Amino acid sequence: MTDSPPPDRPSAEASDGHTLEPWEVFRREKEGDPMRHGGSVMAPDAELAVHYAREMYGRRQESVRLWVVRRSDIHDLEDVDLLQPPLDRSFKKPGGYVMRDKLAAARERSGKSKPKARSG
Amino acid sequence: MTATAEELLPATRNALSLLLLAMADDEFVIGFSDSEWTGIAPLLEEDVAMSSLAQDELGHAQALYRLLAELVDDGRDADAIAFDRPPEGYYHARLLDHPRGDWANTIGRRFLYDTADSIRLEALAAGSWGPLAELVEKIRREERYHLLHVGAWLERLAAAPGEPRRRLLEALERMAPDAATVLSPLPDEASLVLAGIVDATSDELEGRWRAKIRPAFERLDLPMPPAATDPGSSRTHHSDAFRWLHGEFTAVRRLDREAPW
Repeated sequence: MTDSPPPDRPSAEASDGHTLEPWEVFRREKEGDPMRHGGSVMAPDAELAVHYAREMYGRRQESVRLWVVRRSDIHDLEDVDLLQPPLDRSFKKPGGYVMRDKLAAARERSGKSKPKARSG
Repeated sequence: MTATAEELLPATRNALSLLLLAMADDEFVIGFSDSEWTGIAPLLEEDVAMSSLAQDELGHAQALYRLLAELVDDGRDADAIAFDRPPEGYYHARLLDHPRGDWANTIGRRFLYDTADSIRLEALAAGSWGPLAELVEKIRREERYHLLHVGAWLERLAAAPGEPRRRLLEALERMAPDAATVLSPLPDEASLVLAGIVDATSDELEGRWRAKIRPAFERLDLPMPPAATDPGSSRTHHSDAFRWLHGEFTAVRRLDREAPW
């Protein structure tokens, strides 16, 4: 791969009316898994976006399902005032309520031992 | 009730080996030809897509060469059949003798080839020779995507006024005399129909192919391909463009006979 695309490869702005735009790709790795964000592809329309998503995120059988979403259709929230407010928020977190000692006492009362960690 | 290779009648076996050679060489040549887009396709995503399609075709060719090597059983393996023939010994359709050309040429040729190939595969899928019918079933699952991909591109080029449509029309005109060569009759093919290996003769397959592509060609106002000009030599008398490609795809083999693909 060269550092820059060949000179006749269109940039996102170019190409007569068929503007390339980004599409976000979500993939399911195996049955039962949630759809997870995989990455994105550039394409002029939904049909080719699906084909390219299949090539980028499915051609090695690494996905059982793909969703392709036009990036401009995503409602974005990236606002520090809303997501990372400056004042102390520790009272909204459950960290102040320590369960460990209460659980140990309850087990002692019931005579049961601590369950083993779940595998997997 | 699949016949083993030994149980096939000599004429059937001979016709079957020519059919396998034709199919394998078709996939091999278009695969190598289209792989030339790697690094220079119109979009980065299309670069990956076209390279991956070309790889699929080489995979199909490899499987078909292996089947052929088992059937012919003359001491040559798949690699020897694929790489050790002079250009005149290849048996691909003359449509694939055309160089990849520009993007419109590549898409036009892929559309003509993939649609004809899908008709051929369909005619073999329920065939009586198990090893081929099983392989064809797998190949067809991959070719489904190839048809969707090339159909999407044909549509876009044909419907885009100006240069894209003009280039596509020029490409189709250039390839017109050879457009139907993928389904030209093969020697002794009647014995394959008789043995139930393929469900129809080439004439009938060509009719099915025309019926398949006609709706798209009419909708996009593209000229239907004419009959092949010289169907008797559809798979011989190869072009200089093919001789050049042959030099390219045999280069590694000539350097190192043990190199695996």
